Amino acid sequence: MLSELLQGTDVGGFLLIQDSCSYSGRHLLKSFIDAALNREEVVHVLGLDVSEEELKEGLKSFVFQRLHFHDAYADPLGWTDNSPFTVHQFSSSRLTELLKQTAPSKPATLVIDSLSWVLRHISPTAVCHTLQQLKKGGAVRTIIGLLHEDMHSRGIVGSVCRLATSVITVEPGTKGEEALAKITKRSKSGKVTQDEQIFSIRKDLTVTVLSKPTNPGHKRSTTEEQVDPTANLTFNLRLTDAEREAKEKLALPFVFSKEKKTALLHSGPGSGKILYEPDASDDYDQEDPDDDLDV
Amino acid sequence: MTRRWRCRQTKPTKSLEENENLQRSSELVRLAMFTELNSILNTSPESFTPGEFILLSDRQSDASFLIHHFLSFYLKARCKVCFVALVQSFSHYHAVSQRLGVSLTQAKEKGQLIFLEGLKESLSVFLPQEENAGHQAMSFLRDPAAGLRSLYEFVQSSVVESSGGGGASAEQWGPPVLLMDDVSVLLSLGVRVGAVLDFSHYCRTTVCSQLQGNVVMLVRCDGEAEEDDADDEGSEQLMRGLTHQSCLTLHVQGLPTGYCRDIHGQVEFCWKKRQSDGQHAPKKVFQFKVHDKGVSFFARGTSRAVL
Repeated sequence: MLSELLQGTDVGGFLLIQDSCSYSGRHLLKSFIDAALNREEVVHVLGLDVSEEELKEGLKSFVFQRLHFHDAYADPLGWTDNSPFTVHQFSSSRLTELLKQTAPSKPATLVIDSLSWVLRHISPTAVCHTLQQLKKGGAVRTIIGLLHEDMHSRGIVGSVCRLATSVITVEPGTKGEEALAKITKRSKSGKVTQDEQIFSIRKDLTVTVLSKPTNPGHKRSTTEEQVDPTANLTFNLRLTDAEREAKEKLALPFVFSKEKKTALLHSGPGSGKILYEPDASDDYDQEDPDDDLDV
Repeated sequence: MTRRWRCRQTKPTKSLEENENLQRSSELVRLAMFTELNSILNTSPESFTPGEFILLSDRQSDASFLIHHFLSFYLKARCKVCFVALVQSFSHYHAVSQRLGVSLTQAKEKGQLIFLEGLKESLSVFLPQEENAGHQAMSFLRDPAAGLRSLYEFVQSSVVESSGGGGASAEQWGPPVLLMDDVSVLLSLGVRVGAVLDFSHYCRTTVCSQLQGNVVMLVRCDGEAEEDDADDEGSEQLMRGLTHQSCLTLHVQGLPTGYCRDIHGQVEFCWKKRQSDGQHAPKKVFQFKVHDKGVSFFARGTSRAVL
């Protein structure tokens, strides 16, 4: 599913990449940018978290004419007086204007790095409103956003995820270069598909999807055959048919049938009898106190 | 048998706590340079990666020995250092750095070191005697909700004036370095986590990206790592935010199995960027021991007490 998302066939959608401190989603974001540029799309990057040089590192230089970087990294709050883009200008009208300046003819792909910066300064409602308007307006083909999920409360993360048509949550994998991606995709018909894949990103930003993660537990046990414990032993644990019959016939010592019970309680001739004569002070109850036992 | 360090300066009697701090720090940093640490980080004062944001953090432990290391490291590398010291006095750092072979007073006189002594300047905010740059920098104490813009402007003016060239006698220093000890104390002074993250972002843009210098910040956490939602006021959220911004983190904590006399803790090194040779070596853990002659780092399980 990760490869399908990288091919970018999904128009009018919002792809969200969620990461945390333990694994940065920026490598995957750069892979998406690289894939979009290779498809000859125009990509606009609103850079807040990292500088232009750092983002362009690893991308091939001949695609830079289609990549437009809007620098909100240098001065996002307007502390110096000539800021190219401040975070307070994050609105659908301003962004549409920016996009139309450089690619008036065809809709562009907008990449936001990162949404966490925006959410720190602008209320989540306004951000979601802006994203929704951008999705519906015609200037943007797809929106790809990076969100640091451990920087916000679950409610805010959940609200932004609701807007997204695909959410990829990246986590560190078990081996060095690998990472785990949990993908949730919502199609237009409302169907939700989920998947987990292990991937690694090479130096040229191509993504190799390795395999599904080996999930110890439910998947394997149903398909596994029943292992025969009596095989491959140095002694014999198997029974022949005659032995099995004799085993089943055997009466176990403390399992009483009715006949055995009466035979034990009312002992036959020749065995000792117990004669009991109660005193005046004895409370002799004729009832058998063990009668209610179901033995 | 090494001689215990003794205070030889003729200063008014220090408080007991200050003396203890001094002794502890001096025990930590007898070594002229932390050669093992330099080899782990693959750096030396002659060659280090410019434009890096290094985050030092600790949890229920004390990572200040790393601040002393980086301070002497960058001064030896002939960088222009701006040190925002919010938790200790100048004489403390000076005494410890002398053990590392660096004189902070000399560096200050030569103009290599710009030292903001937070403890002293904070008094001047409330009892203004003269206007100076430090007074403006700490003005956030009067109004913590307004943010750290004035502190950033102080940092900016300190690091930018190096490239301006201050006159015929000014020496040419290397790339600027910002050191902060420590960032989490700003939270206890009433500054919001968002404001501290904005400040560190701006420091990064100016020092790392524009001037190709380095930033080293120390953040301290207390208590266990929270597993649940991001808490708006906590030092945990600050540490997470700074980890996202940094490219190298050194996290100091005690041993997970408890106190040990021979191993004082462990340091976890995390590199976010790929190394220049393409190898992605994201995490390394080393244990360390603090002793009279310095700090030694060793791989887990190879302490001399165990082998």
